[in-house]
Amino acid sequence: MRIRFLSMLSLAGVALASCGGSGEGLDENGRPLTDEPTPLVPELQSIQDNVFTPICTGCHAGSSAPLGFRLDAGSSFSMLVNTASVEVPSLKRVLPGNPDQSYLIQKLEGHAAVGAQMPLGQPPLPQATINVIRQWITDGAQQSVTALQSGAALQLHATTPLDGEMLQRPPREILIQASGELDVTSLNAASLSLKRSGGDGTFGDGNEVAVDRVSISVHSFQPTVIALSQPREKWVPDTYQLVLAGNSSPAVLGRNGMPIDGAALGMSGSDFTLQFTVEATQ
Amino acid sequence: VRLRLLLAMLCLSACGTALAEPYLAVQQGLKCMACHVNPTGGGMRNTFGQIWGQTAMPEKRIDTGDPWTGEINRFLAIGGNLRASGSYTDTPNQPSITAFDVDKASVFIDVRAIPDRLSLYIDQRVAPGGSINSEAYARLWLAGQRYYVKAGQFFLPFGIRLQDDTAFTRQVTGINFATPDRGVEIGYESPLWTAQLAISNGTAGGPATPDGKQYSLRVERVTPRWRAGASFNFNDSSEGTDAGGVTLGKRQMQGVFAGLRTGPIAWLAEADYIIDDTLVPNRDQIVGLVEANWRIRQGQNLKITAEYFDPDTDVSNDYRDRFSLVWEYTPIQFAQLRVGVRNYDGIPQNDTQNQRLVFMQVNGYF
Repeated sequence: MRIRFLSMLSLAGVALASCGGSGEGLDENGRPLTDEPTPLVPELQSIQDNVFTPICTGCHAGSSAPLGFRLDAGSSFSMLVNTASVEVPSLKRVLPGNPDQSYLIQKLEGHAAVGAQMPLGQPPLPQATINVIRQWITDGAQQSVTALQSGAALQLHATTPLDGEMLQRPPREILIQASGELDVTSLNAASLSLKRSGGDGTFGDGNEVAVDRVSISVHSFQPTVIALSQPREKWVPDTYQLVLAGNSSPAVLGRNGMPIDGAALGMSGSDFTLQFTVEATQ
Repeated sequence: VRLRLLLAMLCLSACGTALAEPYLAVQQGLKCMACHVNPTGGGMRNTFGQIWGQTAMPEKRIDTGDPWTGEINRFLAIGGNLRASGSYTDTPNQPSITAFDVDKASVFIDVRAIPDRLSLYIDQRVAPGGSINSEAYARLWLAGQRYYVKAGQFFLPFGIRLQDDTAFTRQVTGINFATPDRGVEIGYESPLWTAQLAISNGTAGGPATPDGKQYSLRVERVTPRWRAGASFNFNDSSEGTDAGGVTLGKRQMQGVFAGLRTGPIAWLAEADYIIDDTLVPNRDQIVGLVEANWRIRQGQNLKITAEYFDPDTDVSNDYRDRFSLVWEYTPIQFAQLRVGVRNYDGIPQNDTQNQRLVFMQVNGYF
């Protein structure tokens, strides 16, 4: 019995004697210090660097993100701001100006109607940290100025669905984020088209079917995030292609009047194309 | 007659003390499937597991006549778990937090369309919040229960399936009870070996991506006294798909794990090396765990766990550890009390990495 007790005690001793890293040369997220440390302030970039990236992207990143909800730097803004929650669709994840009605805050504070408090399985965030996020929402949940592209042709990326994604159910909405502010008046049926392949999975062979009456809403202006949706029953299993014109007229324009750089060529005047497949509608 | 036979067997073999966890398998020298419907463990208990949990685990068994087996009839069985807790979290430079929570309530249904051959299994989390499916799959046993094929949504096989999802080995690997995935699993069972190969979407239950899949392989040798195994996981489903235009890569994990029984102490150990190219910049990470479970007496277990996490092998001075001391007391069947303290230790400039958690948890299981 004594040996057993001592072996248990020695394990406890080793555990107690060990301690975490000294943190020397690191910032508070455990990353090497580069320039000035970035304190947590109510700006998205700061929240991204101090909360979303070091804490949340442990799970909410990549294609394995729970419920498809990603909080990596490239996705967080469009995934959050004015985007409906999957768990409680009546609530926006972040409703600018209203932290109490923002599902993100409810999840962080632990009083959401569905699911566990975040971060899952970890101690809750300090209320002081949540308060900074609250303040960012109260201030309008803006994208950080440094993340906005200006002076050049804007590039677009699809937050959801991803290009080439195979969906087992229709998308709730198609989220497209621009690298800056678009001239939203240039978004119309002539500059934006959604069509399906006609069942053969290919485009350009003449049997495509235009998808009409797609609802377009603007989630954010700066940067511009647009959401396209249609009633669930309108979707049919097929491959879909969304095109925002950049090299034809009328084109989708940035606020600077330049057509978009949809293909990310580094120059103005190319189409943005997103293709995805809806495998089932049930 | 069968129940009495099982009870008699259990009276001879009983020596476990707490709720279903891998250390119980090590203590008993059994494989997970000895007590669980799921060959890889966790979730619903089978008839043996149910009766064992009522006779061998608790300090005292309240006589209810025939024990609960969960079997409604030979084609249908049900079960469930409930974990509720109260906790006190002390974070440096922050106000302490006291909270009561329903950690998890789950119901299990096993429809045995062809008993011992073809089953439809559902593990549904019903609280907290709304109902969320954890597992839903069909399982077909082949070759006299030497092989099985599982298809649907299930927890992936990797390492030691600890009950504690907050353990570094569960959190960092991302394979835990919160992240089932959809796919196919093929399993092999022999008296001394257990192995699983799963191919899944790699999206933790989310929509599939076009670029890749997740492959999980787990092999373990199980003897009455010790066990050892290795795990491998490869996921390239997120390669090149970051919404921000950042090129992402694959994630590869490999690990070894073992269990050993020395008298009343059951030891568990796991070490994993993770190559994560989905992060920018990419990182290599190491997690480790050593756990001792001391059966003080029937109905009581003392668990001491030491854990290590290096979040980036290229960065010095950033590692974390966690130490846990948990007393588990099962006074009667179906009910367990867990009281414990967890001490997190990380870099001093991050308060949340240096928290102390004191908790009391009530587990109900049937």
